[in-house]
Amino acid sequence: MTAPATRAGLARPFLRLRVAGYAFFLPFFLVFLITVVAPLAYAIYLSFFQERMIGGTVFAGLGNYTRAIGDALFGAGLVRVALFLVAQVPIMLLIALLCALAIDSGRLRWPSLFRITIFMPYAVPAVVAALMWGYMYGDQFGLVGQIGDALGVTLPDLMSRSWMLGSIGNMVTWEYVGYNMIILYAALRAIPEELYEAAEMDGAGAVRIAWSIKLPALRPALLVATLFSVIGSFQLFNEPNILQKLAPSVITTSYTPNMYAYNLAFNGQQINYSAAVAVVLGLVTVVVAYVVQIITARREKTL
Amino acid sequence: MRNLPSRRGVMTAGVAAALSLALAACGGGSGGGATTAPAAAPSATAAVQDALSKPAELTFWTWVTGIEKTVARFQAKYPNIKVNVVNAGQSADQYTKLQTAIKAGSGAPDVAQIEYFALPQFALSKQVVNLAEHGAAELKDKFAPAAWGQVAINGGVYGIPQDTGPMAMFYRKDIFEKLKIEPPKTWAEFIEAAKKIKADNPDNFITSIDPGDAGGVDSLIWQAGGTPFKTSGENQVSVTLATDPGVKQFVSTWGSLLSEKLVDPQPGWTDEWWKGMGSGKYAVWMTGAWAPNGIINSIPKTKGDWAVAPMPQHDAAKPINAENGGSSVAVIPQSKNIPAAVAFAQWLNSDPEAVKSLNEEAGLFPATKTLLEDPAFRDAPQEFFDGQKINQVLGDASTAVKADWQYLPFQVYANSIFKDTVGQAIDGGGDLAGALKTWQDRITAFGTEQGFTLSAG
Repeated sequence: MTAPATRAGLARPFLRLRVAGYAFFLPFFLVFLITVVAPLAYAIYLSFFQERMIGGTVFAGLGNYTRAIGDALFGAGLVRVALFLVAQVPIMLLIALLCALAIDSGRLRWPSLFRITIFMPYAVPAVVAALMWGYMYGDQFGLVGQIGDALGVTLPDLMSRSWMLGSIGNMVTWEYVGYNMIILYAALRAIPEELYEAAEMDGAGAVRIAWSIKLPALRPALLVATLFSVIGSFQLFNEPNILQKLAPSVITTSYTPNMYAYNLAFNGQQINYSAAVAVVLGLVTVVVAYVVQIITARREKTL
Repeated sequence: MRNLPSRRGVMTAGVAAALSLALAACGGGSGGGATTAPAAAPSATAAVQDALSKPAELTFWTWVTGIEKTVARFQAKYPNIKVNVVNAGQSADQYTKLQTAIKAGSGAPDVAQIEYFALPQFALSKQVVNLAEHGAAELKDKFAPAAWGQVAINGGVYGIPQDTGPMAMFYRKDIFEKLKIEPPKTWAEFIEAAKKIKADNPDNFITSIDPGDAGGVDSLIWQAGGTPFKTSGENQVSVTLATDPGVKQFVSTWGSLLSEKLVDPQPGWTDEWWKGMGSGKYAVWMTGAWAPNGIINSIPKTKGDWAVAPMPQHDAAKPINAENGGSSVAVIPQSKNIPAAVAFAQWLNSDPEAVKSLNEEAGLFPATKTLLEDPAFRDAPQEFFDGQKINQVLGDASTAVKADWQYLPFQVYANSIFKDTVGQAIDGGGDLAGALKTWQDRITAFGTEQGFTLSAG
């Protein structure tokens, strides 16, 4: 007679635990569904149709995808951001790494001031940044123009066709060095003190400690920062979009894949094709990010 | 990069606002003004009149600075109607939001500012109310023909004209006097004047041309007598950027100005450009009659240096003028109180008190005959322009506008890819005619995809 009661007594906390687990999980899951899964599913759904100003909406099958894959404007944009990725990301991460190591070395006089200053650009609103860089890059009345006048030389127009990608890279580096530095610095702080003590006892200097203890410990954080930067490069939008008003013939509507998708959707009312372009861009980004991860992981094994 | 997508829209709008002070830049209209709108049912017209005395609440999207003052005058007169003025972004930014809200079925305003160049797109897709059904056709005689022609589309009336931008040549009197240049009456004289300015100082130009501004080039083609875009019926579109005689006139004049580096291919409305306008780097600005407000506010220290003259002509015997910019006010079908919305749009843009306020308090160049012909408006000397009665020149410029120009029913997109095509030739000093053909090809490809029947030439 007592057995069922006991069983119930045992089962109840277990059940309660499971319900509690789901209850904690549910709010996140709902938000995730509404803000991530639903828009993504909707974009994929949209990409299979074609809406026309005359004639309404028709089912397009894979038509938008075959068009996107053969689209020269989209392809040129992808090549451009890939080039950007290869050149800008290593430079930015190297600077971020040096800054993080400098703060962690304990040899700076005002480490927190240094940290805040490097991080500051990340917090500057994009509009302010746009006005600032627009002024600095100006070759007539801007900073570049003024320096050129002072030195009596003609400096190159940083917003011309050949310089533009580098100028954007410079802006992006300025903006995100601090952000990446914080990721790397946090990883450095997680290294246990004992390791340093042991290394010092073995007679290792600061450089040796950085090379043999700090860098290996930073590898997971560097991977995260690299992945963020890879994704960010493919998503490049804000900076070129800001500079477009200043250099409309250099930054075309398809300068980066994201700008292309944006202009298709909002200036061209081609929501469906834009969705297909965005999905293809997403897939390319996933593949590249995955390849970067595999390469890094393999290198880690061999080390 | 690496920003949440939601920040994107806010940012673009912000940058647009920050980088440009344009009140009503780029634009023009769709012609076909000759068609008479069908008369509205008397009951509908009466409903619009009645609506003014009944309680209502309206939302009005506009980016005109200072228009709150005109709206306040409306509220003082008709206290039953509450109007909320909202700035939902400028031009294309606002159209994006408007089209999204219309598609979503809620969230759109009752009344919205729409530039003439974008109105055919909204009219064709029935995203704005045909005001002729509410008696607005009766207002026709109150407006300058060029303004009315741009809201009378396909036999309907899709907006009430608010302001216009008949083109004129704003020039630096001080520079012209110094170099002994007379304001050019023809484009041939304009090229000669450009050479004199260049010879005086190779860093200076007679003017600039914006490689990103389709509206500016559209107006120059219009002013050369061209009609490269035509729509008939609901889906017949013809694009003749490669063969239109007006386009050819534009190419021959501006092709040589660009290849001889007599004009500066520089985006307008930027900080650099305003500095150039202030420093005397540019001697001329050919643009819509709304320009004085921008000059007065952006480069106040040039007070007394500017004067206004009519546009240079290709054929001095047959002067032609064009519009640049200008907006209408349209009613959105989603409105819960269309009669009140129509009554507000009509009052705002045709009541004598309102149009005077739009001109004086919001800096708009008028669209109504009453104000354009009013001696107090025409003959007022303008202090900033050294006492010149500029409204006489600008008013005559309005009368001279050629009324048969039309915009495409997807001009917003066509204008957005201008910088990808024609802009490249303007900036790179390349083949202007070839670039116009490339623009045409991309326009026709888009139009065909959108289900229109295209003919190109």
